Amino acid sequence: MKGTPAYEALGQALDAQRERLLPCVHCGFCLPACPTYNRLGNEADSPRGRLHLIQAVVEGRLEPSSEAFRTHIDRCLGCRACEPVCPSGVEYGTLLELARETATQAVPPGLPTRFLLKVLGTPVLRIPFFFIGRLLRGTGFAALGATVLPSYGPFRAVRLGLAMLASTRRWQLMDSKESMAGIADSGSLDISQKSRVAVLLGCVQEGLFRRINSATARVLEANGYEVVTVGGQDCCGALHAHGGDLESARTLARSNIRVFEASGADLIAVNAAGCGATMKDYGILLEEDPDFAQRAKEVASSVRDVTEILDSSGLRTGASVPCKIAYDHPCHLLHAQGVERAPITVLKAVPDAEVHVVAGAEECCGGAGIYGITHPKLGGLIGGDKVSAVRACSADAVATPNPGCMMQIGAGLRLEASNEGVIHPVELLDESYRRAGFYRAGGVE
Amino acid sequence: MTRPLPSTVVSDLAEIVGHEHVITDPERLLVYESDGLTAYRRPPRAVVLPSSTEEISAVVELLHSNGIEVIPRGAGTGLSGGALTTPEGVIVGTARMNRILKIDVENRLAIAQPGVINARLTEATNPYGLYYAPDPSSQSTCTLGGNVAENSGGPHCLKYGVTARYVTGLTVVLAGGRIVQLGGVGRDPYSTLDLVGLFVGSEGCFGIATEIEIRLLPITEGVRTLLGIFESVESAGRAVTKIMASGLMPAAVEIVDGPTIEAVEASVFAAGYPLEAGAALVIEFDGTEAGLDLDADRAEKCCLEEGAIEVQRATDPEHRVKLWRARKKAFGAMGRIAPDLLVQDATVPRTKLPEVLAGIDDIGNRYGLKIANVFHAGDGNLHPNILFDRQNQNELELVELASKEIMQLCVDAGGTITGEHGVGVDKREYMTLVHGPAELEAMAAAKRVFDPASLFNPGKVLPDVEGEGTTKSEKILAMGE
Amino acid sequence: MRVDLTDSLSSLLPKEAFGFSVPSSLPAALRTDVETIIAPGSVEEVAMLLQWASERGVGVVPIGTGGHTYPRCPSDPFIVLTTSRLNEIQHYEPADLTMAAGAGVLIRDLATEMAIHGQWLPFDPPDVRNRTLGGLVATGLSGPLWAGYGQLRNHVLGATIVCGNGQTVRLGGKVVKNVAGFDILKPMVGSRGELAIITSATVRIFPLPVLDRLLVLEAADISELVPTARAIATAPIMPASVSLRATSNRSRLLVRLHGAQVSVDSDQKSLEKHTSVSFEVRDSPEDQSLMLEERGGGMNTEPAVRVWALPSRIDALLDVLKQVPGASLNADVYGGSVRVYLPEQISDIESSLTGLQKDIEELGGTMRALQIPAEVNASAYFTKPLADEGELASGLKRAFDPQSILWGIG
Ligand SMILES: Cc1cc2nc3c(=O)[nH]c(=O)nc-3n(C[C@H](O)[C@H](O)[C@H](O)COP(=O)(O)OP(=O)(O)OC[C@H]3O[C@@H](n4cnc5c(N)ncnc54)[C@H](O)[C@@H]3O)c2cc1C
Ligand code: SF4
Ligand code: SF4
Repeated sequence: MKGTPAYEALGQALDAQRERLLPCVHCGFCLPACPTYNRLGNEADSPRGRLHLIQAVVEGRLEPSSEAFRTHIDRCLGCRACEPVCPSGVEYGTLLELARETATQAVPPGLPTRFLLKVLGTPVLRIPFFFIGRLLRGTGFAALGATVLPSYGPFRAVRLGLAMLASTRRWQLMDSKESMAGIADSGSLDISQKSRVAVLLGCVQEGLFRRINSATARVLEANGYEVVTVGGQDCCGALHAHGGDLESARTLARSNIRVFEASGADLIAVNAAGCGATMKDYGILLEEDPDFAQRAKEVASSVRDVTEILDSSGLRTGASVPCKIAYDHPCHLLHAQGVERAPITVLKAVPDAEVHVVAGAEECCGGAGIYGITHPKLGGLIGGDKVSAVRACSADAVATPNPGCMMQIGAGLRLEASNEGVIHPVELLDESYRRAGFYRAGGVE
Repeated sequence: MTRPLPSTVVSDLAEIVGHEHVITDPERLLVYESDGLTAYRRPPRAVVLPSSTEEISAVVELLHSNGIEVIPRGAGTGLSGGALTTPEGVIVGTARMNRILKIDVENRLAIAQPGVINARLTEATNPYGLYYAPDPSSQSTCTLGGNVAENSGGPHCLKYGVTARYVTGLTVVLAGGRIVQLGGVGRDPYSTLDLVGLFVGSEGCFGIATEIEIRLLPITEGVRTLLGIFESVESAGRAVTKIMASGLMPAAVEIVDGPTIEAVEASVFAAGYPLEAGAALVIEFDGTEAGLDLDADRAEKCCLEEGAIEVQRATDPEHRVKLWRARKKAFGAMGRIAPDLLVQDATVPRTKLPEVLAGIDDIGNRYGLKIANVFHAGDGNLHPNILFDRQNQNELELVELASKEIMQLCVDAGGTITGEHGVGVDKREYMTLVHGPAELEAMAAAKRVFDPASLFNPGKVLPDVEGEGTTKSEKILAMGE
Repeated sequence: MRVDLTDSLSSLLPKEAFGFSVPSSLPAALRTDVETIIAPGSVEEVAMLLQWASERGVGVVPIGTGGHTYPRCPSDPFIVLTTSRLNEIQHYEPADLTMAAGAGVLIRDLATEMAIHGQWLPFDPPDVRNRTLGGLVATGLSGPLWAGYGQLRNHVLGATIVCGNGQTVRLGGKVVKNVAGFDILKPMVGSRGELAIITSATVRIFPLPVLDRLLVLEAADISELVPTARAIATAPIMPASVSLRATSNRSRLLVRLHGAQVSVDSDQKSLEKHTSVSFEVRDSPEDQSLMLEERGGGMNTEPAVRVWALPSRIDALLDVLKQVPGASLNADVYGGSVRVYLPEQISDIESSLTGLQKDIEELGGTMRALQIPAEVNASAYFTKPLADEGELASGLKRAFDPQSILWGIG
């Protein structure tokens, strides 16, 4: 096997990563953190097993095109729960992306996946795509479809997709018709120390969750930050990187780096955990690019989750929003970025909001992009456990700062006809500020 | 290349456990070629993942009736190659047997399947004010079945004892698939021989434990953790002897030596230890809150008398975590500073620690190898970590030689070749350093009682006897082989 | 013993090995002939003796001080082997907290030696001071203190044994943690002389507690004490031992707390709070030994059995035991075991035992005769081991004593 041209070409990419593989001492500490291993019990579906397969490719003992390699690399959720528990600090996420690239180069992924990545990475395709999405959502067609379609055969995926779409609508408690606008006053805050912040708009976020982007800008301003508008942004490339299309991811990263550099912002606020994790890793993504390596590192170092920024300097208190919120950690915030406390602090800053962390909140919801569609059985199992844990909280809404997770959990709840709303933590804070009269009427949403 | 299983056996296995739980594809089997000791690699002919005692019994019956060797495997964190397959073996994994079957609060007992992770048992029993005492450093991932097989220990075993003390009963599957009940708290332990005690530590060579009855302890009221910084590992060693001889009963006494501190501080896990420190000593007391400060004062005094540079004391959980950091992160940190790491394991009488440590240092110097020690000092259980690079063939040989010398040194000091990691495949050749033919034959006789045809984990623990044709395992150290 | 045996033995062993007198505690059947007692003075002599015996098919009854009941007597010919000359302390390193000694050393002698260094062996089966180390290991009994210190089997670090075929085997070592090979030391502890003769053992020892406090609660009837006993057994602190003693006219709950004064005081307080009971305190060793050794201070001659059940069933167990009028009890509350001393002049002992055994086994417990008048067939009152366990145990017996010459206490 060793020495075949196929191996030579494809194994090389990974071979370059020897240094990242070496620290894996095969201790197995990562096994119990892995949602796929916990459910399947097969070590090939564990982080250590996947790394072992990657290493076998590097050593030329395994073909990257082999069914085993592709299946188990593909079955990884990319949740990176295996990273914080690793005593050797193995950079699993980075290795996974490289492995995915190697695997997809050997055998390209299915048409739906390629279609989706193409659309998300191309603004002219993205706009009509999300327009149709919003149309389906707004007309109630998505919700209807999710209710009436059968859950078998080809309908299953469509039903899930529509449920995900339907779940992106605003939670009723906040479905106020009052229009909102930019900031009236930032109170008695000392704003002289605060930074200039640019907000990453993102593809899905801007397409389906524009309200969260607006809320993000408003709560930042209400806390005295200067929010700068940055035009020409593109998709962050997270989904491409996760899907093994590193080249597209790099292209997207470069264009984002250019516009954010030009914006003169001190910080880049990201309200989608998956995007934040990817942007914080731009330095690694572009480490081989002599023109961009340094610039990528610099931009990456200014990326923060929006809740990190809010948590970093005493939050302003708004008005009471009595409600019970179940909080769930997005993997890409907790494991990939190590942010645990900040979003909870944001929620708790809202008077009368009772916050419960979902049992097993550190485990992946099974969203992982379109995992539920590509791996119906396993994704269903993982998602089902999450939905049960959320329901066990008997909360009014579940909060989780990542669009993928919001859609995954929201769809799960919807399919079980459970009524919890789904929100991003800044939405609740935003509502609290609105009720407190921090915002001037008459602006745009 | 391993010989595939006959297709009838594969289909019969699938019949028992479901086809998705039988792995036969050679590419996937690669994942099971090593346990925590990667110096040995060999993929099994198949991996079977049963979910109940009955399934294990049926699987073992099928395999044994076909003369196929069975290799039990838990989480594969073992450090002696215990879960390494023989060329003809099939691995039976307990990953899917991960349920706690019963928590009996009144009798402070739990019954668990073997695939339950050590730390999960403590998590599950904490709400009842109980916990499971043995705490191997791998407790967040290793399984109770593996712990039973290795008779695992951990830092707090100094006061509380090792696995054997807590295992009160077992359901085991023996040769041919026979399901056998051993012991149980409700029965007079001396109504027969201590078969539970014999099974514990049998390294998968007697059978597979499929249900484990475990004694739990009430959570202690308080804890005090001390960190003593010393100029040399010898003075830390003397402090240990002084503490233990003073009548104190610490829960844990661990030493992290200078080279380890250096490794930790050089890695991403830096704990902020003074770099000039020759050794750090972590001492922990637990029990009734009222007596703890007194104990801690006395231990601190012992440290200072032996020349400690400083002694820190933690009373809150966060500070405690901080003091333990270097100890807990040592293993990973070493993974970061050297490509390869051989974790050794040996025990010496506590009073011999200073001289043995000096001897190990000397061996390291003679071979030009970096050896770092992190260990359970309270019970004399050493873990010299030899750092090397497997791509340097020459260095490999030196590692082998140095290892052997260290073992000999420990044995000469009245110690033994393994305190908690077991013999497995790695230490078989050292067995003759501590045991004569009569002892080895007695062990072999015990194995024959449980497994007359040697179909459970053969080629482990006992060294090859000339002419018996037991499988000799080859160490595969070169990458890409 | 037949003359030819004595002859061939006397050429094998030095004179010191002969002329020992038979302990009066030994059952009548074993007391036939003064010269049946042989006392080898070294492992080598034990090995020679066993080799000699196995070659001739001569039975060997190993004894320490000979205080145990032999449920069955060997068929002729046989010899009684006493370990009393294997009475050297071989190795004692106080700082290592380990001690190695010959099987024949009396525990009270070990205790004296250890006390000099502020150390002890925290095991308290009845009459422990008059037992030999070998006897203690061979019977494997720990007494109620196991709760605070762990069972004896976990503290025997090593032993030298001579198997039935005369083969000497050195098990374990001097270190506390040792997993070098299969743990055949474990089944030797508590093997009661059936597998091999233990000629010496290394044990882990402990620092003497700064304070050894005995808490006492008295009541007319033991059933009044059971709820408190169970409450203590599930309290968040763990005393060194909890036992219940009852004679026909008095019952006591005895709780031992070990540690520094402050922690003992605090433990007592939390126990009293937890149980809403206040205890009498005995801190002086003299007071304590009166109570602790009340049963078993000397050689008890009454018939005795040990019954065993899940600790939570101790009340049911005690209810069953009430059916035996005049019995005294000594219960280990954590362990769920009760020693039952039957009245010396019990009429119809056999039907009492049969009834008791049946009731205990119905509770899921076990019974074992400890001391039974010679005319009663004691082995009838042993709860049978589980079938598979019995088979594995026989397998070990065959492996270590292939000719089955060892006649232990079964
Ligand atoms: C970082 C690290 C730290 C460690 N620290 C410690 C420590 O502090 N103390 C310590 O004692 N060990 C330690 N170990 C070693 C290891 O974790 C223990 O030996 C552990 O008990 C192995 O459990 P496992 O589930 O991984 O078993 P495996 O490695 O899968 O198997 C170990 C042995 O048990 C057998 N086995 C597994 N399950 C069963 C079963 N159900 N029935 C019968 N046999 C079975 C296998 O055949 C094999 O021989 C450490 C290992 C690592 C990697
Ligand atoms: S925890 Fe880290 S070092 Fe250990 S097996 Fe997993 S990836 Fe490798
Ligand atoms: S990223 Fe998540 S699913 Fe993938 S190996 Fe790590 S823990 Fe498992």
